Amino acid sequence: MAQLDTSGGGGRHESKLKAKKMSTNVDLTPMVDLAFLLITFFMLTTTMSKPVAMQLAMPKPIEDSTKDKGEDVKASQVLTIILDKDDVIWYYEGIPEELTPATLEKTTYAPNGIRQLILDKQAKVNAQFQEPDKTICLIKTTNDAVYKNIVDVLDEMDITKTKIFAIQNMSEVETQAVAAKWQ
Amino acid sequence: MPKVKIPRKSIIVDMTAMTDVAFLLLTFFILTAKFRPSETVLVDTPSSRATEQVAEDIIMITVDQDGGSFLTLYTTRRVATLNSLIERYGEKYPSLRTLDQKQINNFGNIETFGYNINQLPALLKLSKDELKEKESEKMPGIPMDSVDAQIGDWVNAARATGLDAGLEIPIAIKGDKSSNVTAVKDIIETLRKREIYRFNLITSLEGKID
Repeated sequence: MAQLDTSGGGGRHESKLKAKKMSTNVDLTPMVDLAFLLITFFMLTTTMSKPVAMQLAMPKPIEDSTKDKGEDVKASQVLTIILDKDDVIWYYEGIPEELTPATLEKTTYAPNGIRQLILDKQAKVNAQFQEPDKTICLIKTTNDAVYKNIVDVLDEMDITKTKIFAIQNMSEVETQAVAAKWQ
Repeated sequence: MPKVKIPRKSIIVDMTAMTDVAFLLLTFFILTAKFRPSETVLVDTPSSRATEQVAEDIIMITVDQDGGSFLTLYTTRRVATLNSLIERYGEKYPSLRTLDQKQINNFGNIETFGYNINQLPALLKLSKDELKEKESEKMPGIPMDSVDAQIGDWVNAARATGLDAGLEIPIAIKGDKSSNVTAVKDIIETLRKREIYRFNLITSLEGKID
């Protein structure tokens, strides 16, 4: 029923002229090429921009500082990192009360800067206490630091596997020391 | 000896099946791909080594370059959050109480919210098209200073909708690379006062491996 009559002619034997049969095979290779190209494109673009999350746990604010003092911390365990404008990092070891502009030193976000610094500090603290994970990093930021800086430093904490770190506010002594450094 | 003729095989391979598979895969990927919701606040996140995926049902606070903060809630939580906010601020801003249910439901269409709550009634009274138009304008941000820490109330209200069902909704902060760190710290400080200590900082995957 639903067929086309392809016999051509139909009873007219005197006509020997037959239409040339065209091949129905179409070369599909370019089409496959195109399809796979599109697949590759979509796969690459969908996995590119996936946001990820970095965990950050902040301590509970202590209402009464005399009540809960926590563990005693030795000054030699502490490394204070101050993030400043223009991707400058200031750092010093020990307690803030003894800080002078002379003991405040400068470093960068390069792997041989802040990362090496933390690793060195860890090695020193480990040798002193004969116990791992005793290093404490205090991260402070001036008002001119950008958000990227703090994410970078938190990343360094993860890379160097520093277990104890805290984000704190600048103390008066530190603010003065940083200001003196810029002059 | 008769010559053994090896029948010549055609070198044409039928590509139809391969085309079928390729297009099937293509269709599958296109259909399963999700469009990224259009972002009303443009933020260029810093990159980090973190690899944890972000859940869908989160409370996200976006901090843009100028330090304004914006709230993005999961679709199903928006209306419930707004209802409890109206209860809280109804006395201070009586116009909030004049909103009818339809207008409140309108809030469910707002992807990212960044206004003072006293501007909300005027915003929700707009029609859908007007709202769309409004979205392209720059939002001023939710107040978050210590006098009027609305962002904290928003987060608390949104959190409560999850806690009622016994679910702790993660709180994410999405900051711009070059936004001032103080703005982000202020938000963390505000939320710490409300006994929220865990945060997710949204970053993009680090491109280069060093």
